[in-house]
Amino acid sequence: MSGLTLRNVSRQFDGLLAVGDVSFSVLPGRITGLIGPNGAGKTTVVNLISGLLRPTQGTIHLDGEDISTIEPAAVARRGIARTFQTIRLLKETSVLDNVVAGFHCHERSSWLASLLGTPAARKETADLRARAAELLRQFNMLQYAGQAAGNLSYGHQRRVEMMRALATEPRLLLLDEPVAGMNDREADALGEIFSVLATNGLAVLLIEHNIRFIMSLCQELHVLDAGRLIASGEPHAVRAQAAVVAAYLGA
Amino acid sequence: MSGFILGHLSVFELVLVNGVLAYSQYIALRAGVFSMATAGFAALGAYTAALFAVRLGFPVWAGLFAAALIGAVAGLVLALPLARLRGVFQAIATLAFVQIVMSVGLYWESLTGGALGLNGIPKLVHPGHLLVVLAIVLYVLRAVSRTGIGRAFDTIRQDETVAVSLGISVVKYQSLAFVLSGALGGLGGGLIAYRNYSLVPEDFGFPLLIAALSFVVLGGRNAVAGPLVGALILTLLPEVARPLADYRLAVNGVLIVLAIIYWPYGVVDTVILHWRQRKAARAQAVAEVVP
Repeated sequence: MSGLTLRNVSRQFDGLLAVGDVSFSVLPGRITGLIGPNGAGKTTVVNLISGLLRPTQGTIHLDGEDISTIEPAAVARRGIARTFQTIRLLKETSVLDNVVAGFHCHERSSWLASLLGTPAARKETADLRARAAELLRQFNMLQYAGQAAGNLSYGHQRRVEMMRALATEPRLLLLDEPVAGMNDREADALGEIFSVLATNGLAVLLIEHNIRFIMSLCQELHVLDAGRLIASGEPHAVRAQAAVVAAYLGA
Repeated sequence: MSGFILGHLSVFELVLVNGVLAYSQYIALRAGVFSMATAGFAALGAYTAALFAVRLGFPVWAGLFAAALIGAVAGLVLALPLARLRGVFQAIATLAFVQIVMSVGLYWESLTGGALGLNGIPKLVHPGHLLVVLAIVLYVLRAVSRTGIGRAFDTIRQDETVAVSLGISVVKYQSLAFVLSGALGGLGGGLIAYRNYSLVPEDFGFPLLIAALSFVVLGGRNAVAGPLVGALILTLLPEVARPLADYRLAVNGVLIVLAIIYWPYGVVDTVILHWRQRKAARAQAVAEVVP
């Protein structure tokens, strides 16, 4: 079974059930949407998948391997990349080096080579910088390469975060409200990128509030309310369901 | 110039020794480890180097190597429990480590000479040795800065959650930082032993711990040159301001407070930042003229 599969996943914080008995899968080549009102448990789901939290019940598999209880850094190395609900960049560091940091999993130099500054280790750094520059070029951000990431505008910071996640060459990309605070034009430009990534075989889980954005991008949609899935399926069918309207879209 | 250096040779040596201790502090902070253990590592290195020279007659390089090695081992042992702690808890635990090392120095009299210390240590290091040691340290730190370890350290320091999301194992890299800090601290201690003729446990107490921290805070935490500049300023200051020598600690304290308020990134990093901003502004101006 390829892609990500959650089976009966629950997470309890003391008495509070944040996520209860959630099952769904995220398939390669598709954008899967996850929506729900504030406090529904969307970010908890992302944190469960990325290993920052462990499920109290249920299992999470990536391409058939159980990743429910492994360390978050190991989850990342298995090929799950994410962006954060509030942007988290290395603000003091240049845009280019922010993206280079994303290549960590693909570095081959040993600690000893790095400490000794061997030609191979230095060449690797040069190669990674070249690859990062190529990524910047694809995202039309090359002119900002030398700037401190903290100085960029909001939309550009989002792009840097995206590029850093892509630098890890993930199999699954978790996007936690990637277009929050953007206007429609900026959002659509980013949505275009998500579609291309999915077409190229990446599994994408998109968490959003922006219904218009979700409807235009996703091939499959899941709705969380109070920690439980209340609807799943084809986006337009899901949107029409009475429970979803009541829980999320309002009257 | 050479006359000036010869006349102040002892101060010049002290700058280099303090520089090595400053780098022990720097490498820990660079990886986001709030360690104050440098003084403890230095004590272990100093006593090791001194005993190797006095009792076993080791040559200078072997003694310094042993000092760095014991520091690294102590760093590794400390890392096992402490790489899982964060921030101020890490600081307090390393502070306890410094106290423990000092107590051992005081009470293990048969080995360390207790409060009277170790005396009659031959003066084995000369400015040449110090320059070679510092050159090696600088080379390694530059190499670290420019390769994967430095990137991982910088990522962890700035945002641990991001580091983890990129597959960087925080415990592994912070343990490495402890080991490097330990090796540099031990090495610095060994240099102290081979310069000072004698050692007492109080040499490695709170004042040294604060000094190592001050070098980095004043000099700068990012650029490799920072800690050395900090060590240079704070070591030379009492010499330059001789009339204020009695108030040396007060002067240092005031300087640190001023640096934290007005130059929070430290001397070197502030200068670099300023220079980069000017360069960026100029590039912007050029870009606006030539659309």
